[in-house]
Amino acid sequence: MSTKLDGRVALVTGAARGMGAAHARRLAAAGATVAVNDIRDSAELAALADEIGGLSAAGDVSDPAECVRIAADVVQAAGRLDVLVANHAYMTMAPLLDHGDADWWKVVDTNLSGTFYLVQAVLPHMRDAGAGRIVVVSSEWGITGWPEATAYAASKSGLISLVKTLGRELAPERIIVNAVAPGVTDTPQLQVDADAAGVELEAIHRHYASSIPLGRIGFPDEVAAAVELLSDFDVEAIVGQVISCNGGSTRSRA
Amino acid sequence: MALVTGGASGIGAAVVEALAGRGFAVGCLDLSPAGSDHAVAVDVSDALAVSAAVSQIRDRLGPISAVVTSAGYYEMAPVAEISADAWRRMLRVHLGGLVNVARATLPDLIEQRGALVAVASELAVGGGDGDAHYAAAKGAILGFVRSLAAEVAGHGVRVNSVAPGPTDTPLLAADSPWRADDYLTTLPLRRLATPREVARCVEYLVCDATFSVGEVVNVNSGAVI
Repeated sequence: MSTKLDGRVALVTGAARGMGAAHARRLAAAGATVAVNDIRDSAELAALADEIGGLSAAGDVSDPAECVRIAADVVQAAGRLDVLVANHAYMTMAPLLDHGDADWWKVVDTNLSGTFYLVQAVLPHMRDAGAGRIVVVSSEWGITGWPEATAYAASKSGLISLVKTLGRELAPERIIVNAVAPGVTDTPQLQVDADAAGVELEAIHRHYASSIPLGRIGFPDEVAAAVELLSDFDVEAIVGQVISCNGGSTRSRA
Repeated sequence: MALVTGGASGIGAAVVEALAGRGFAVGCLDLSPAGSDHAVAVDVSDALAVSAAVSQIRDRLGPISAVVTSAGYYEMAPVAEISADAWRRMLRVHLGGLVNVARATLPDLIEQRGALVAVASELAVGGGDGDAHYAAAKGAILGFVRSLAAEVAGHGVRVNSVAPGPTDTPLLAADSPWRADDYLTTLPLRRLATPREVARCVEYLVCDATFSVGEVVNVNSGAVI
């Protein structure tokens, strides 16, 4: 793509694998120095940081103090912080009455509150830089809802409202906030779904693909293309919006 | 090869530049083409003329793998003062212009597994005072895009849309209310969108949004959220 992020520093959460790693690679390819976060430090996180010439910044983003520390560490190491991609997520599914209270709130506190804490933590640094880009990864299920995913869908639709509000609130400061809503994407999460259903991974792929107009599931890099667009400092006029990448299953509901 | 309608000015011209930058040979259909090598003068509301113009450009540049429909015009009027002719013209140019070009290019798009991007408007989403016929025409574009998208996705053709807010183009008169300070201060971004920003979104949808179908990218300075 034509995005130029030379000299910019980005923080991508939930980046050890799957979509987060794809976002980190895309932004690095566009020229950014990318700090990759995941809940714990790991060989794969370090390897990714190494591969893209970035840095690793592990920590639990559902803890506000950790968010402040992570942001400060990134600024100390890389000198500034221009882009936040809030991609981390925790997901469990259960019928409403079977979903234990502690786990239900863990989903919401990781996905929704974690992003709120991250935004609070990066904001002073973006204000120092005079501009910023915040890209929140929501989900198709945050738009449509999904049976037995009350916590996840609530957290992801909460993110959309957070993005709409912060879009309005921060655009005057040239800190631009938007969301991406991926549909079914080929990430390690699908193996979890397959195991839970007791079927082969291929069967899960076919099952999901059959209800997608493009006839297939998505790839992480296709979602990362939208993240790259919303991280582009030459584009300011997309404000508080949701860009879906789902092969046509929702067709511009948001 | 990319075909852009309304490519001689404003958003269309910026789209031509962006797609050329991504390696496309670009042909244009425009009511008054500005002397470009690969531009044909045509009224996009005229189905036969569009079909002939598309063949002409195709003969010169080869099969079409991307289409952007940007031709259009803007006028405001209270609903009671919209004449039948004004209403009809608005629909024929915006919705008809899209349908005519889609029909003429779909065989190529299917063969090339290409992409179509329709330029709609923020007013298609949010509506506006005095905008009934423009908003109806642009809103109809969104319904058409969602449906055509579902219809041809199975062929690997991606149909999407951008909905620009007020954009700094010749379509907005110097004395337009959309340029007034008391309007601009209501926008979260406090300024009009630029043709380049809209073109960047079109470029994304044509070239990079390989898993987006039937989507609308809203590029409107926060006018409609």
